[in-house]
Amino acid sequence: MSPAPHAPLFVREMGLPARFGVYVLLCLFLLGLDARYSALSGVRAGLNTLLHPLQAVLAQPWAWTQDVSGFFVTHGELAAENVRLKEERDRLRADFLDRQALAAENANLRDLLALAHHPGVIPVVGEIRETVADPFSRKVIIDRGSAHGLEAGWPVVDAAGLVGQVTRVYPWTAEVTLLTDRDQAAPVQNMRNGLRLIVSGQGSDNLLEIRFLDMHADLQPGDWLYTSGIDGVYPAGIPVARVMQTEPPRHTPFARAVCRPLGGVGNYRHVAVLKPRLPPQAPPVPAPRPPPGHAPR
Amino acid sequence: MPRAEPPAEKPLLPQGAELAPPPTRLKVYGSLALSLAATLLPWSDDLHWLVPDFTLMALLYWNIHAPRLAGLGMAFTLGLVTDVARGVLMGLNALAFCAATFVILLVQRRLEGFDAPRQSLQVAPVLLGKEALVLTLGLMLGLGEADWRWLAAGVVAGVLWMPLAWLVDRLTGRPSRPPVPLP
Repeated sequence: MSPAPHAPLFVREMGLPARFGVYVLLCLFLLGLDARYSALSGVRAGLNTLLHPLQAVLAQPWAWTQDVSGFFVTHGELAAENVRLKEERDRLRADFLDRQALAAENANLRDLLALAHHPGVIPVVGEIRETVADPFSRKVIIDRGSAHGLEAGWPVVDAAGLVGQVTRVYPWTAEVTLLTDRDQAAPVQNMRNGLRLIVSGQGSDNLLEIRFLDMHADLQPGDWLYTSGIDGVYPAGIPVARVMQTEPPRHTPFARAVCRPLGGVGNYRHVAVLKPRLPPQAPPVPAPRPPPGHAPR
Repeated sequence: MPRAEPPAEKPLLPQGAELAPPPTRLKVYGSLALSLAATLLPWSDDLHWLVPDFTLMALLYWNIHAPRLAGLGMAFTLGLVTDVARGVLMGLNALAFCAATFVILLVQRRLEGFDAPRQSLQVAPVLLGKEALVLTLGLMLGLGEADWRWLAAGVVAGVLWMPLAWLVDRLTGRPSRPPVPLP
């Protein structure tokens, strides 16, 4: 063990303010680089890979205590849960029969209308490991990453509806930005009349909003909003939100509506990432030629 | 006429056992790694905004007592690691750590002679200021609305400084009284 270095007799380095200035400039440079361009994603992924085993080891005692407390459940709790599960099974069975009938009817109607089928997606189920400790955003970390084939941009759903979108992918984990994040938005369609809208988060845990709504838009409290599928990110037909109230314009030419998300954005432990099933390669469309004899203006 | 002898029971400089042994690299780097691990623990969501930044507290402690071992470079490195672990913009915590280190190094000579309670009065504003700086930088960079509850982490850190610094003082063999009695 070597002793601590002594203060040098003759100082041959920059003064404290100068060194501080250099570090501040370096930090601001990094901040700008990371905020405007994603140039640092490689560095971040590397450091995260180094930190990941450490975090897993630190979380292990918590998991053990939960295992132990889960072992000592009483007979009464088990019996009550058994009854509840039986009721739920009966209910689900009835629902399932309904759903089969509805699906058959729906397929018929779609064929009648000659509509394109729902684009294929493969769900990848992951477990939420932790929420990101950041006062500015609503994000969670799931235990599926690029090793499982995930890519940034894919939608994340739960059993009830849309939850968010994969925004950063690390080797064994991925960061999911929830729908309630301020910067997150989803194109939706009103189920009642097909009105296309954009729903965005407002930084609150269980509210979404529709900004810049047309003053005369036909939107009422109680309307169901589904993804419209026109952005190419979210497949069509995922339930997103239910309108709670609409606010007439004040000080601005636009109205505003507040909605409640249908998916358990902050609730569940398991979510499904929708992996797009690759479409068959379409031949490249040739660029349209200008008609002959038509001089460019 | 003999000159008056200075009073022998009040030496001007600390003598013998009163001097603390210099901190070793193992103690400094080990405690920094431990505190970083403490911030990486899976804290509950409801408590996240109350958990103080143990990394910064350990860093400032060693800035006071071993400034040659933990300086601006260490602050920058630990800040970047914290940024990655929290998933925020690279350089946000690094900048805040460097600023806190700079302020502490400016007054390091004075803080070195103080005991833990007197230190805590002067270090607490720096710990609170770091949280405020992170939130303000986030606002300036357009990360959205700041959650000002997170300032509570700075207050908790300031309150915890006294017992934790006292504990580390005892563990590293520092004398319990300030070496130079105040006039």
